[in-house]
Amino acid sequence: MQRRILIIDDEPGFTRLIKLTLEGTGKFLVREENNGLKALQAAQEFKPDIIFLDIVMPEMDGGDVAKEIKTDPALSSVPLIFLTAIASKKEEEEGKHINGYPFIAKPVSLETIVHCVDTHVGLN
Amino acid sequence: MLPQDISRVLLIEDSNEAAEFLASLFKTPCGSAFQIARHATNLEEGLAAVETEFYEIILLDTTLPEGGWLHTLPDLRRAAPQSAVLVMGEADDEELKILALREGAQDYLGKGGLDSRVFLRAVRCAVERCHALQTLLKEHEMFRALLDYLPDRIYFKDRQSRFIRVNPSMAQFFRLEKPEQLIGQTDFDFFTEEHARPAFEDEQKIMTQGRPIESRIEKETLPDGRIGWASTTKMPLRDRRGAIVGTFGISHDITLIKEMEDALSAERTLLRNVINHLPDPIYFKDRQGRYQLDNQAHVQFIGKKSAQEIIGKTVFDFFPTEVAEHFHAADEVILNSGVALLNHEEVATDAAGNRRWLLTTKVPLRDDKDKIIGLVCIGRDITDQKEAEEKLVEANANLRHTLNELKSAHEELHSVQLQLIEAEKMKTIGRLAAGVAHEVKNPLAIIMMGIAYLRDQKPPLGEQIISVLGDMSDATKRADNVIRGLLDFSVPKRLEASEESLNQVVEESLHLVRGEVDVSKHEIRKSLAPDLPPIKFDRTKIGQVLINLFTNSLQAMPEGGMLSVSTKLDQITGVGANIGDARSESFRAGDEIATVIVEDSGPGIPSDKLPKIFDPFFTTKPTGKGTGLGLTVARSIMDLHGGLIQITNRPEGGTRAILTFRV
Repeated sequence: MQRRILIIDDEPGFTRLIKLTLEGTGKFLVREENNGLKALQAAQEFKPDIIFLDIVMPEMDGGDVAKEIKTDPALSSVPLIFLTAIASKKEEEEGKHINGYPFIAKPVSLETIVHCVDTHVGLN
Repeated sequence: MLPQDISRVLLIEDSNEAAEFLASLFKTPCGSAFQIARHATNLEEGLAAVETEFYEIILLDTTLPEGGWLHTLPDLRRAAPQSAVLVMGEADDEELKILALREGAQDYLGKGGLDSRVFLRAVRCAVERCHALQTLLKEHEMFRALLDYLPDRIYFKDRQSRFIRVNPSMAQFFRLEKPEQLIGQTDFDFFTEEHARPAFEDEQKIMTQGRPIESRIEKETLPDGRIGWASTTKMPLRDRRGAIVGTFGISHDITLIKEMEDALSAERTLLRNVINHLPDPIYFKDRQGRYQLDNQAHVQFIGKKSAQEIIGKTVFDFFPTEVAEHFHAADEVILNSGVALLNHEEVATDAAGNRRWLLTTKVPLRDDKDKIIGLVCIGRDITDQKEAEEKLVEANANLRHTLNELKSAHEELHSVQLQLIEAEKMKTIGRLAAGVAHEVKNPLAIIMMGIAYLRDQKPPLGEQIISVLGDMSDATKRADNVIRGLLDFSVPKRLEASEESLNQVVEESLHLVRGEVDVSKHEIRKSLAPDLPPIKFDRTKIGQVLINLFTNSLQAMPEGGMLSVSTKLDQITGVGANIGDARSESFRAGDEIATVIVEDSGPGIPSDKLPKIFDPFFTTKPTGKGTGLGLTVARSIMDLHGGLIQITNRPEGGTRAILTFRV
């Protein structure tokens, strides 16, 4: 079964490529959301298996989005990963967390995202 | 009868017959006391005789050939003033007798009918009278001398205080030539009423009471304006019955003395006032230590109200025994040695019990025979000065101390300031870097993902396109590296420091760069001090620094060379001694430090580039290799640790990097 991925990032070029790349493998279904304010609604509608969230966004920043999403009990168990430019690869390697959530640093490779999904969602 | 009892007689008689007659008169038992020692027959002879010898009695004949006896008598009297002259006339004549007596003879006798008894009686009487007269005359002469030569004014007045007799001094006083000019006048004729009246009354009182006024000091005011002072003694003048008939007196002019006395008194009063008003205690002690003179300041110091309470007493009466003994002993030294004690500082307790500092001068006082008779002491209370002095010294010490503290605080501030400036710089750059990184990373991510997507296309795109995509990929990777470097730069400024082993981190970092090492070309030397204590530092970040240094060294020796790393425990010998850096101010002599020294045998850093090596984006590596941020970040990390990084060229070639940590 295809795993459902919600990607929230204010950069449409980026989200489009993520969708293209991931759906190209045939293993994933990707929903894009470019407006933080609409993120919660998107999550509620799409019911993802994992959410990738950018931090620096104009309408609502990633931290607040994460808080909002997690208030919904239906979404509380969904793994949330920050996908951000403000952290460094090194810190990612060190396994650091931001606000208690794991993150991966941009620019990101396909392998990294797939590995992350595998890790957090498991192979169904 | 002894010869000296015999009275010698000179007979001046030209008639031998008369002479014999007279001689015969002496030839009786009563006449044995007399002897005609010489018989002169004329006056000239007689005068010559008295010139050479003394005759008690001279019998002068009235009928001498030279002339009348009346004329000769004065000559004779002058020549022999102390001899009794009896004039022998023809007959007893009352008138002639009176004349003779007036002229100075003692008697006049008629030769005729003269018996021995009467004659001798006359002679004896004459002698007695002569003696009496001599005595009187002598007295009179002395009296005259007294009156005439005494400088004091002597005067005799009658019951109406009119002058009856004055001496020349008195006349002189009134500017008169002769004393006689005063006779009959009174004080009122010469003095102003101011003096004359009381004088007159005094005299009246003397005469009434019969008591003298002795040594009264009178002010005499003369009409011409002169003022004088006299010491006057006035007494009642009595006649022989004892009745008071007037007054007499003697005035001793004391004007000069009075003036001198007044001047002296004024001077003494002035001196006394000066001494009394001086604020310094002044006193004089006698040889036995008894106070003899005190000024007001001293009286106050002792705590009494008047000098009377102090004079005659000693230090033992005013100070506790111990203190008094000390004073007494000190005085004795001066009194015995005769050496003055000048400006001696000593502590004393005043009457109120306060501790006072005194500056004392004690000088031995000598009399006119140069014998020491006491001590003159002047004290000055310098308590205020002394206290001010002490305060000053204390204040000075405080000031100095504060100054030193200020200096070191200033040094600290300065170095903190430098650090802050650096930190601020770093923060700004960091913020900038973070902003830039973020803004660049997103586009980069899209590009990289895009390239990956295109490369993975099935069927694959043409070889040319794949090659171009490859170049694009490399370029984005380079850009990504730069961004990564920048982000490292903007790492949050918090250290995760813990006690770590520096040696261990060195080993780990060496291990991590093994990829850059070509064992066939590179020689790695390690010399790690075993006695390094654990030091607090951020393991990751210091590892980052070391990795950076190792990488730099290895990349500088692509053909091979030596890389050495050593750790050492050390001590700062002096500010700037071990560390020649502006930041070295924060290191003080005696500070314990740990150093890591990384050296290589590469080409070293060109000296014109050395100052810039820590500048951001500065690199000597070829394009593509290194971001130029490594050393900048390294320095930032060392700063955060309160340590130092210094890079120099080795004299034998190559680079040396020294990391200094506080222990």
